[in-house]
Amino acid sequence: MLRAITLLNAIAINVVTRDDLVHPWGGAAILAAMAAWTAFVTWAYTDAVRRSIPLLLADAAVALAALTLTPLVKGPDFDGTVPGFWVMAALLAWAVRFRQWGGLGAAVVIVAADLWLRADITQTNLGNAYLLLIGGPIVGFLCGSLQEMAVQRDAAQQSAAAAAERARLARVVHDGVLQVLALVQRRGAELGGDAAELGRLAGEQEKRLRTLIRSQDALRDRVDNGVVDLADALARLRDRPHVDVAVPGGPVDLPAATATEVVAVVEACLDNVARHVGEDAPAWVLLEAFPDHVAVSVRDDGPGIPEGRLEEARAQGRLGVLESIQGRVRDLGGTAELTTGSFGTEWELSVPRSTHAPR
Amino acid sequence: MSDVGSDGQDPVRVMVVDDHPMWRDAVERDLQAAGFAVVAVAADGHQALARFPAARPQVVVLDLQIPGPNGVEVTRQVLQHDPGARVLILSASGEQDDVLEAVKAGATGYLVKSASVAELLDAVRRVARGDSVFTPGLAGLVLGEFRRLSEPAGDPSITGNPELTERETEVLKMVAKGMSYKQIAERLVLSHRTVQNHVQNTLRKLQMHNRVELTRYAIERGLDTDDD
Repeated sequence: MLRAITLLNAIAINVVTRDDLVHPWGGAAILAAMAAWTAFVTWAYTDAVRRSIPLLLADAAVALAALTLTPLVKGPDFDGTVPGFWVMAALLAWAVRFRQWGGLGAAVVIVAADLWLRADITQTNLGNAYLLLIGGPIVGFLCGSLQEMAVQRDAAQQSAAAAAERARLARVVHDGVLQVLALVQRRGAELGGDAAELGRLAGEQEKRLRTLIRSQDALRDRVDNGVVDLADALARLRDRPHVDVAVPGGPVDLPAATATEVVAVVEACLDNVARHVGEDAPAWVLLEAFPDHVAVSVRDDGPGIPEGRLEEARAQGRLGVLESIQGRVRDLGGTAELTTGSFGTEWELSVPRSTHAPR
Repeated sequence: MSDVGSDGQDPVRVMVVDDHPMWRDAVERDLQAAGFAVVAVAADGHQALARFPAARPQVVVLDLQIPGPNGVEVTRQVLQHDPGARVLILSASGEQDDVLEAVKAGATGYLVKSASVAELLDAVRRVARGDSVFTPGLAGLVLGEFRRLSEPAGDPSITGNPELTERETEVLKMVAKGMSYKQIAERLVLSHRTVQNHVQNTLRKLQMHNRVELTRYAIERGLDTDDD
């Protein structure tokens, strides 16, 4: 395309400046040859198989020939060469094929020939020569980069496809394993004795695997940019015995520091349940996502905190759990409220979603 | 509807759909031992849909991860064929999105496979009675879905996005926090039945919304013959 345009340019200039031509028919012959070569080479370059070294050498040779024939048709004191900008096409072909060194080499040869032919060298000639010398290597370099990028992109696409297939296979495997673990757990509980212990172990593994699968799913379609899915992070707490976690579907993104701190606070609440209600005491965590904040509730079915107990701790100068938890949530710009009674104890944490991250 | 065993009425007719033969057998055995009539079993979605019309089960105990049309699709088609049937999802992997989709398609119960036999039997009984069987996890999902729908970011042109009453939200939240219907009834000074109704209403609203969405989608796609 470029070659065709520069050919038209060369023809037009030669027609306009035909008075300079000492041998008009010779000039016309050169232009005709250029046109023929343009047509041939445009066809030849379309197929990668034909982009061979001989073709490129021939391309350069034709360009040089068109250049060197200029003094013969225009006399020794010519202004512009017959092919003009047309030689650029051959140079670019070299740059595309052989990168920056090809571009530089072709530029040197063409510039040398051009300057050698001229009787006197003007500022403009030098400027053009300079541009050719710069342009050749740059185009070559860009082509190299583009090709490397294409290779890298192909590799990335391939590895993404492989990862997706692995994830699909893993899902099938996991589902089967989950089924068997759940079955062992169930049968074990029915049979009792040693089998019950086996069943309990299977149950623990099943829980753990399910949590892992969820976190893998959350990881899969996410680039880490300092954001953590709080739903996923809290769901991992299902690893703890007797803890049930309810979260909305889909990710609940929070700045990593905030999410980590919220999880730590929830863990502190759960530790408290284990300490005061019992190791086997069940606890429930609920996460709700609102546009501007998240609400997390941690609840147990225990006897509640006896009246006066918290005040007592405070009077003794101990930094009670209450203050510790409230303080940490306040640092996040949120609030923590405690409800307690015969129905159990419940923490309600509310934390803004915007970046009120702790320092 | 009949309760099983105790009063000698017709046993509840159940269909078990699971691609895992060991599981299918175990569930079938447990159900039969408890006095349920297992009228059909199926290993995949095609079998389930083919056998459903003849077997006419009252309750379908359905694994979500099955070959062929998946659990969500089976739920939809089964309930289209017989709106009186009930679907209880029994899922191993706890795939959150699938569970939510199945509930939107009309399933009224959800249980993970790690639940005990007693829990399963109780769930089948309750679903057969027309109750909804929620886990705290499912309640959290449903609650999250309503929150999402009520956000202004949703399509403003849609009027009639489902909204829960304050009471319904309160009850659903308590279920998500792991409280039993009995505990909720005590806390809110309501009857057990009223709590149950609130829970069922939330599911009904979600399913209704889902149907409206599907219809809207059909109209947009020109699958509808109406002029407007």
